[in-house]
Amino acid sequence: MIKTGCTLGVLVMAGMLAACGSDSSSATVATSNARGTLIYDPPLRIASLTAAALQSQLSSTASGQQLAELAGTPVCGVDFYYEQYWTVDPVGAPATASGALMVPTGTAAQCTGARPIVLYAHGTQTDKAFNIADVSNTANTEGALIAAVFAAQGYIVVATNYTGYDTSSLSYHPFLNGDQQSKDMIDSLTAARAALPHSFTPATTDSGQLFVTGYSEGGYVAMATVKALQAAGTPPAASAPMSGPYALEALVDAVFYGNVNIGSTVLSPLLTTSYQRAYGNIYQYTTDVYEPAYAPNIESLLPSIMPVDTLFQQGKLPETALFNSTTPVIPGNPLLTAALAVPTNPVFAAGFGSPNLVTNDYRLSYVLDAAANPDGAVPVPQPGVPLAANPQQGLRKATNLNDMRNGNWVPMSPMLMCGGDQDPTVFFSVDTGTMQAHWAALPTGLVTVLDVNAPPTPGDPFAAVQAGFQQALANLIAAGGPQAAVESYHTTVAPFCTVAARGFFSQF
Amino acid sequence: MERMTAVLSVAALLSAAASVGRADSEYDNTVRAGVYYLHYALSADDISGPYVPPGLNIDVPDVVTLYLAYVRKLSSHWDFEFALGYPPLTKTEGKGPATVGSVPYNGQVISTARWVAPTVLFNYEFRDPSASLRPYVGVGINYTHFIDKQSTAQGDAVSGGPTSISLPDSVGPAATVGLVYRLTPRWSFYASYSASMVNARLTANTAGVIRTTHIEFWPLALVVSAGFSF
Repeated sequence: MIKTGCTLGVLVMAGMLAACGSDSSSATVATSNARGTLIYDPPLRIASLTAAALQSQLSSTASGQQLAELAGTPVCGVDFYYEQYWTVDPVGAPATASGALMVPTGTAAQCTGARPIVLYAHGTQTDKAFNIADVSNTANTEGALIAAVFAAQGYIVVATNYTGYDTSSLSYHPFLNGDQQSKDMIDSLTAARAALPHSFTPATTDSGQLFVTGYSEGGYVAMATVKALQAAGTPPAASAPMSGPYALEALVDAVFYGNVNIGSTVLSPLLTTSYQRAYGNIYQYTTDVYEPAYAPNIESLLPSIMPVDTLFQQGKLPETALFNSTTPVIPGNPLLTAALAVPTNPVFAAGFGSPNLVTNDYRLSYVLDAAANPDGAVPVPQPGVPLAANPQQGLRKATNLNDMRNGNWVPMSPMLMCGGDQDPTVFFSVDTGTMQAHWAALPTGLVTVLDVNAPPTPGDPFAAVQAGFQQALANLIAAGGPQAAVESYHTTVAPFCTVAARGFFSQF
Repeated sequence: MERMTAVLSVAALLSAAASVGRADSEYDNTVRAGVYYLHYALSADDISGPYVPPGLNIDVPDVVTLYLAYVRKLSSHWDFEFALGYPPLTKTEGKGPATVGSVPYNGQVISTARWVAPTVLFNYEFRDPSASLRPYVGVGINYTHFIDKQSTAQGDAVSGGPTSISLPDSVGPAATVGLVYRLTPRWSFYASYSASMVNARLTANTAGVIRTTHIEFWPLALVVSAGFSF
């Protein structure tokens, strides 16, 4: 018995030792899929950079040096969180999305305590894995931009990746769907606000002051978000949509009339897939819109895990030829036939060729509807630049619905619309100009328009931004010629408008 | 724990079977207690997973812990040993760049764990049983079960948030060489040098993001102990 007792004693001891202690736990996982629910609380902090480390990181590349020069020396460090949250798809079904929460850190007064939030919407990305929170990715220039311009200067930044990107459960991207994308933005904000108290710096809190901004597609989304926030009774303190296709119907009309914008062969599939999935009336078959060579896989082509240049090389998309260079003839309508001809402007003319993406039949069906139900901004702006009264064609119905003139709303808080007047991707006059005309009767100061390409006026708070942009443009022309400057124009405007937005927000 | 129970059951059966036909000595059972100086000869792959910069590795410093064992004499030359150390608090340190972003990494304690490592050995003692000094060698099986796995505050800072760590159980070979000095019929002193092999895949979960590394270590244990026979 003694022997047995001893053996058991050792075994019992082993059992007791094995039972002691408990393992550490990870973040709380949400059990609800309600809109704005943070899926992992606290969210993952991808990186933490002090102000000095951020400065050093920016200094390590030529573009970073330019950005640091423009954005100013970082005052705060930045913690980059990767948030995942629940939102909805265009038909209201739950969907997951992800994004960034950038929290300023450091001991300077503007880096801690109650801080304003900048809700940011990024520009179009073709990379399906795009993650604006991943600051270690050198291709994530937009993440670096908003970190340097806003977070490193004391703003908490919230930026969605949008549904359809990164780890989102949605298989496509609801491109330029104002209703869905504004919900996505607001849900990313709700999730970020829930995450803040559990961050590594819980003393940094939401001051309640909200600014909304974004660039390109994000400019449109920012404006749609302002509209949605106002409708919910929570307008932002101020907003700054930048270079966005706000007057969407007018822009797409202009393109179909022949003013083909740079990037159109990439933007078109994103747009038609988005609206087809939301409304179901863009086409019955993809060959209704697209040439047979491109139609079979067009719906799932973008965003893609492959670089867009690879898609071009593999013949899955034409690089620039949206329309056929043999343009359609409309019997009995020489004026419209002429309007559809290859334009003389070489930038627009590059959108014509063969093989091309969109069929002549589809172009014709669109333009006939545009002619019968004209947009007040195209081809010649009419007073008030009204939307088409009764478009019948599927794509025109969708762009009409999503046009920012729709809904008869006006901004309730100060808005800066920034862009460059020669932008060959999102036309300044058609978009910013149309919204400016649409809101011309608003009280002075409610809507401010900044053209970074306009001559600087002494004393103008944005004169330095304008001078900076124009110098950058001159540098581009000197280095690569006018064509290089045209191709880079849209992206070159972005940092200057972003800095202008920060200056605008600082007034409130 | 099921695997550990199985190992212990097999060991008990082997012990019972081997006790048949042994050459009797005065005492058949011995308990030993002493000190375990443990050196981890660790080799790990760089940590992999989302948002992990290249070159992040880990290291584990040496520990000292309590050694306990039960030894059953099977014959004049053969012993069965069931050894167990008090689960040592094992610290995992970052090895690689000085910082990850701006968070200190190299040399920082990023996680801790305790491990229960029961080991069964069959030892062969040389020389005549009446000799007061007898060298011995042994081979057996080591079972390692990790408990109380914790990411430290520094580990959470590097990983990006509260992190749960998973280390599955490991079974590997074990071997020992030693000397026993019989002071009296009941009391003996032991010194041994043991090696075993532990293979594990460390998985860290931070807000649903999984990072892993495969670790392989050979705990080299210098044991000094006293034994009481009964």
